[in-house]
Amino acid sequence: MSNETISVGPGRTTALLLVAPSLLMIGFLFLYPFAYSVLSAFVDNGTGDWHVANFIKAVDFYSNDILFTIIIVLLSTVLIGFFAIAIAGYLTLGENRFAVSLLRWLYRWPLFIPFIVSAQLMRTFLAKNGMMNNMLVGSGLMEPLSAVSFLDWRGIVITFVWKQTPFVTLLVAGAMASLDRTTIEAGRNLGASRLRVLIELVVPQVATTLMVGLILSYVVMLSVLSVPLMINAQSPTMLTVDMAWRINSYGDYGIANALGIMSYLFTGIVAWFYLRQSLKEKGAMK
Amino acid sequence: MIPSDIVARSLALAARVLAIGGLAFVIFGPITNMLLWSVAEVWYYPHKLPLEWGFAFWERVFRPQGNAMESLFSSISIALLTVVVSLTVAIPAGYALARGRLPMRYLIMLLFLLPQAFPAVAVHMNVARIFYGWSLTGTTTGVVLVHASQGMVFAVWIATAAFSAVDGELEAAARNIGASRWQAFRDVTLPLALPGILASAIFVFLISMDEFTGTYFVGAPDIITLPMLLFTSSMEGNYQIASISSLILLVPSVAFMFVIERFLKADVLAKVGG
Amino acid sequence: MLTNKRLVMALSTAALVVSAPASAQTVLNVASGGSQNMVEYITDYLGPMFEKQNPGVKVRVTGTGPGDAGSQKILEKLEAQSAAGKEVWDLDVVVAAQKKTGEMVEKGLLANYRSEISTGKLVTRDTAKTALGVNVDGYVMPMFHSQTAIAYNPDVVSDPPTSYDELRAWTEKHPKAFGYNGIKNGMSGLAFVVGWMYAYSGDAATIQNGPYDPAKKAGWSKPLADLKDFNKNISFTPGNAGTLDMLNRGEIVMGPVWVDMFYSWQADGRVSPNLKLKLLSPGMPGQPYYYGTPTKAENKELAKKFIELATSPKVQAEGIVNKFNWYPGIDANHVEAALDKAVWKKLFTDVTPADLAAKGKPFPIAPYFDDIKEGYEKQVSN
Repeated sequence: MSNETISVGPGRTTALLLVAPSLLMIGFLFLYPFAYSVLSAFVDNGTGDWHVANFIKAVDFYSNDILFTIIIVLLSTVLIGFFAIAIAGYLTLGENRFAVSLLRWLYRWPLFIPFIVSAQLMRTFLAKNGMMNNMLVGSGLMEPLSAVSFLDWRGIVITFVWKQTPFVTLLVAGAMASLDRTTIEAGRNLGASRLRVLIELVVPQVATTLMVGLILSYVVMLSVLSVPLMINAQSPTMLTVDMAWRINSYGDYGIANALGIMSYLFTGIVAWFYLRQSLKEKGAMK
Repeated sequence: MIPSDIVARSLALAARVLAIGGLAFVIFGPITNMLLWSVAEVWYYPHKLPLEWGFAFWERVFRPQGNAMESLFSSISIALLTVVVSLTVAIPAGYALARGRLPMRYLIMLLFLLPQAFPAVAVHMNVARIFYGWSLTGTTTGVVLVHASQGMVFAVWIATAAFSAVDGELEAAARNIGASRWQAFRDVTLPLALPGILASAIFVFLISMDEFTGTYFVGAPDIITLPMLLFTSSMEGNYQIASISSLILLVPSVAFMFVIERFLKADVLAKVGG
Repeated sequence: MLTNKRLVMALSTAALVVSAPASAQTVLNVASGGSQNMVEYITDYLGPMFEKQNPGVKVRVTGTGPGDAGSQKILEKLEAQSAAGKEVWDLDVVVAAQKKTGEMVEKGLLANYRSEISTGKLVTRDTAKTALGVNVDGYVMPMFHSQTAIAYNPDVVSDPPTSYDELRAWTEKHPKAFGYNGIKNGMSGLAFVVGWMYAYSGDAATIQNGPYDPAKKAGWSKPLADLKDFNKNISFTPGNAGTLDMLNRGEIVMGPVWVDMFYSWQADGRVSPNLKLKLLSPGMPGQPYYYGTPTKAENKELAKKFIELATSPKVQAEGIVNKFNWYPGIDANHVEAALDKAVWKKLFTDVTPADLAAKGKPFPIAPYFDDIKEGYEKQVSN
């Protein structure tokens, strides 16, 4: 950058001061209670010693649910990414103006619908004799006998994808819209199909935005309680349900917090990869 | 002979109609279902549509003893306060993270992700205990603080992105012609970053409207928001009441969407995550 | 000008009139760790009645959700305020399930008040003295007694199973037609599992009454393994209400439900009027909900008055039995006199009083209860 000599933006101390209030909030509202959780996961109530018994018991009891949580969240994230690229891609490259504006109006509705409402909607919509199957049967697309309930892991994935896709699409479509159109036009003029332009030219340029959106969604999905609770709280279920259950049913903070720390690790791993990646990019740019 | 491009074009049209129709079904199907439930008075298997329609459950929700309107009001005011609190701390933080020479910048960025990353249930149990000592449990302040910590990642990350997207050269130019740091920020950077900051405000607002567990532990029984009302009725299988509460919950969200559409264009969001 | 002045005066008087009683009002805070219908029982029925009898008092009720989870919230609120050293706690009356009420009493969070109210002597059930093995005598008044049973659709099931053994055989012939909500999402599923353990663990009496022996659970692998096999032939439902809802929409034809919820849903038109109930032998558990008042409640006297009204024969007859389909909390003899014969009968059509006496079991004592839940989690669901 050419402006290295002119001082732009706050200096080190000012910058720290500016960040301080928000860091304090996180400290009091998250780190402090978080320390509570870690203590209760690792410290034996009776003796006060450090131990990992809570983790052993957690794996012993909930290994299925741990696996299930990872699979559901990863699958949902992949699906969200796929649909977000497809919709945003059509919004950017679509040639039928009417279809584009219709899609633009359509796709973002679930964004404004809270998780808890989405869960409620899906709970009645996806049931065996819910509206979805009723309409499919009514329109002759499906035999009444083959109707099944989707209120299991599929219901959770469907609800997550339904609710989070618009969020990622909104970010990705925004990024795509601000791309330099000339490269896209050039690609089109050279005879590349729209799909190729999307995959080879457009997506790489919005990769960072896509990653941010997907990571935020991933993290949100890991910590939502209402959706798994309302759609499928049976075995296997997601870790948030087990945590709430441990606390509510046994008053057992130790194992609940052990499970909490596990799901924190799932987030931590992804966040770390992202940070390393973006650190590399920033480093390369300088 | 039919020209092949007409065939191709009608095929494309059919594909488009099918895809968009399918999407419309996927998006509006569940919503329609909710609308049906909100006016169904008697509905049991094997009937595909309600047997009796009416507004009896609406009267139950809006009756004086019911607390739907009260909880809607507290939901909205808590969400607005949360936006104010979040932005007050997120704008300086975002600016510092985008422009400042901060040590361990990525670590700090990651820190804001924590409240979203750690399952709310476990954290909020402990927050509620701590808040008792500070007399914050059962107060609007307490709930707003919890919501703000949940929305912080959106507020800070998006604000940071918005500030990063503003060309540093502009600020440098302003400084060159004699503007102070504050003037350069106020007159050049902040106005240019404003759309992005509005975007973060939207997300914070929606997160607060949607927030359930924090309110439950910290707010109840004095502060009852609409999601709490909705959750209880849905778990009880009171689908009519749950659907009506859902509908009410959608009003501010959708209204917000229409208002915000006016001045927040899609391309503004491109700056997010930069 | 004069009119303006008058208007201002009128307005400010009106404002005074409107705001004065509001600020002078005493608020009685009730926390109900029960289903929505239990919350509505207070908002729609008991609350207004109490407010009418006690002008200037406003009853404010909060539902913390059903099952142990809801009662745990109340326990936590009281515990936190106690730990913070508060002199006045923000709950006056608590309505909680057995296990958590026992814990509240053990932790000294509830006041001993039964002897101080006139309805205290109308209580005869054992559950008013002990709650899952914990002595709660004097600290609680039962609000009502609730029972689980199997609901079924007689149009599809002409010959319903009458015991756990018959049910097992039935599910093998009709896979996925029986549904219950596991153990994590509502007590009706948990009650079904407890009934299973009563039937197959070989020692139901000890599980119900103690003494507790931690080694006992080691002998449960067979019934739990059988339950795991049984689970392969059934459908899982999303919660107490979920079971009724799936029955309602024909997705299952049989499942365990709370009797009171079942009747309320029928009265609301949310399940078909044809559905019937059956109490499986050797027995299925039921439980009371308790009224208690915290040791440091702000409005202690008012709270006692509220509980006194709630457990009076008239309210138990009209509210508990007639309006909300629960079995009375106080001795039924005091209630029957205050009720219409037809109403009394309606409650006992599918489940006869004899059935209830023979097959209505209590829940296990707390440590065995935890063992059953953990055994299920470890050996059945994982």
